Amino acid sequence: MGWDTLLSARALMGLSLVFHMFFTPLGIGLPLLLFIVEGLGLKTGDPRYRELARSWTPIVGLLFAVGAVSGTVLSFELGLLWPRFMAYAGGIIGMPFSLEGFAFFTEAIFLALYIYGWNRLSPLAHWLTTIPLVVSSAMSAVFVISANAWMNTPDGFRVVNGEVVDVDPWDAMFNAAWLHQAVHGTLASYVVTGFTVGAVYAWLIWRKVPAVNPKLGLQVAMAMAAVSIPLQIVAGDFAARRVAELQPVKFAAMEGQYGTERGAPLRIGGIPMDGETRFAIEIPRLLSYLGYRDFDAEVLGLNDVPEDERPNELLTHLSFQVMVGGGFALLFLAGWYWVASWRRRREAWLPGRALTWALVAGGFVSFAALQTGWFVTEFGRQPWVVYGYLRTSEGVTEQDGILGFFILFTALYVVISIALVTALLRWPHNGPKREPAARPAGSEVPGVA
Amino acid sequence: MSPELLAAGVALGAVMLYAMFGGADFGGGVWSLLASGPRKDEQRLALERAIGPVWETNHVWLILLVVTLFTVFPAAYAVIFEALYLPLFIALLGIVARGAAFAFRHYGRRDSRLAAQSLRWFSWASLATPFFFGTVIGAVTAGHLEVEGTRVLSGPFEGWLRPFALMCGLIGMLICAFLAAAYMVPRTEGALREDFRRRAIGASLALGAATTLAIPVAAADAGRFAERLDDVRAVGAMALTAVLGLTGLWALWARRYRLAPLLAGATVAGVVATWGLAQHPYLLADALTYEEAAAARATVSAFLVALPIGALILVPSLLLLYLTFSREKLRGEETAH
Repeated sequence: MGWDTLLSARALMGLSLVFHMFFTPLGIGLPLLLFIVEGLGLKTGDPRYRELARSWTPIVGLLFAVGAVSGTVLSFELGLLWPRFMAYAGGIIGMPFSLEGFAFFTEAIFLALYIYGWNRLSPLAHWLTTIPLVVSSAMSAVFVISANAWMNTPDGFRVVNGEVVDVDPWDAMFNAAWLHQAVHGTLASYVVTGFTVGAVYAWLIWRKVPAVNPKLGLQVAMAMAAVSIPLQIVAGDFAARRVAELQPVKFAAMEGQYGTERGAPLRIGGIPMDGETRFAIEIPRLLSYLGYRDFDAEVLGLNDVPEDERPNELLTHLSFQVMVGGGFALLFLAGWYWVASWRRRREAWLPGRALTWALVAGGFVSFAALQTGWFVTEFGRQPWVVYGYLRTSEGVTEQDGILGFFILFTALYVVISIALVTALLRWPHNGPKREPAARPAGSEVPGVA
Repeated sequence: MSPELLAAGVALGAVMLYAMFGGADFGGGVWSLLASGPRKDEQRLALERAIGPVWETNHVWLILLVVTLFTVFPAAYAVIFEALYLPLFIALLGIVARGAAFAFRHYGRRDSRLAAQSLRWFSWASLATPFFFGTVIGAVTAGHLEVEGTRVLSGPFEGWLRPFALMCGLIGMLICAFLAAAYMVPRTEGALREDFRRRAIGASLALGAATTLAIPVAAADAGRFAERLDDVRAVGAMALTAVLGLTGLWALWARRYRLAPLLAGATVAGVVATWGLAQHPYLLADALTYEEAAAARATVSAFLVALPIGALILVPSLLLLYLTFSREKLRGEETAH
């Protein structure tokens, strides 16, 4: 396989999605965290909560900004890279994209009010701006994921003689995969935010970096993590059952299942290649149960699928293993943190060395799980862009030079990532840590120490 | 009026609003690049302050335009993006570089190397992006792109490097510079205000000259578009735009600080409206009309139902945002230190 247009386009789209997906979970999760923290501040009257929320302001602004431009990239690339796909699908699944546009718009407006409103709005009004932020960011995710779900389980149209007819945009939006993908994909943002913010504070506390109320920050973040990760695992089980039912080929690739059989075993780990999944730990009959809630249910194997309709089972299976393994590791980590914290209920308790390192690793693991989760969805749908209707190779542009843009965007993203890491590492030094409540009115630029 | 025409109007409205708000935003970068004189740093800082709270919102108009196109006119979206992928990719690189650079400068430390580097990227990208968007508008207007159904036959360099498209690129840059300077006038004071007032007058004259010159260029390079400009509604729109532009110039000259930005915005809206009227009924000139490009009626109707519901949330929110932030005077000094 050479670097033809199709592969270049897939690489560029994949790169853009991965890059975007570093910002979106925090863009969705941080508003909820801010809502909780400022709400607690109002309820208890404890000023530490407000200081904590305020110290995140430059971070929220920065992440949201880069998230917004990387999202613009995707809306362009749908047309620049996949014009045939968009000509086919735009009129069917444009609806959730339009609604996402509105939700995102609302989010941008209230984010500006939030970030620049510290001195202009009363504490109550300022807290109230987080409500539309939480709602609109979650709605954005749900709408966009609904469009992705349609690619997996297309609905709301018919094809007669190669022409799309009888379009019903609402049926398309609320397609079969909509619910499980939206729930699983949105919860992932809260998981990532909880563990990532937790990781940052664990590190700051361990290195004794001066920061605003780091212990409080760690507690709130880990509370969010501990609530969201079990829910996410339940949602994941629901999603897996729906995939088993709606996209059995994807399910087979996820699980490294080659032969069609009753009472199929669950394979943990392993390398599916050349018709066999080697080195996996097999638990008898569990896969049949997990997929169909019946230990003797028949599970389709890849061998019974025509060669040109199979996804790459190696990538799909390995991504799936990382996601599931990561999810359970995070569940364990949240449990560890809260048991340790509960057993030593002293004001002075701080995580020890091992727990600190585990918490820091947890931030990375949460992102790995989120990204590989999307790999499962995307690799597992191949070779289709619209499952069963349009192949990815039929959706791609006919223009040349896409490889050049892949290289340019890679370079640009590398530069931005370096700058971002540089900027983030300076936080909390340039956060408003020494900052008293009375900042002169009209100081517009947050985060300038 | 058919739902398709209404939806085309929505798309034109999105172009207009993007020009009026996003344009001013790009213009802020242009004047950062061209900042000069004894108050160079004050100019830059005041521009940054003005852009800060609203830049993301300003750019959502672009997203709205893109989603309107691909929901309601998927064929046009596919064809235009495929045929003009070079200028659009370049504009996209500009948007990314600019947005990221602005964020680094704005939320980071001002004295760092990162901030200095970011300012450079932000300014140059602010100049380049509207130019390439302008060439895209010129290319879909001039009628040199060849398509067959939704297949593009033209090569990657066709359409957007011709005289009329380049003229549109220039107009794009001038619109941005004009709006940013005019919008800054009521938001600054004293000598800083005079700086922006002079810049606004200069940009206004340049924009007037460029749009006037665009007509003979169109006649030579975009013949059918020029013919449609003879239509009575297009002539009316042009006349109205000219009056608005001249009144705006007078308002700047006579130091009517509150009036000038309103007239500036209206002038730019008039330029876009004139273009839209003359472009009718085409989305891609001489190749694809809005009716040919439209999605199924059910989708168009659903979109038109969702639009006012969305607007019900958006419009009050936007008013709240602009009212909260536009009343304060922007000084060019660091108050946060």
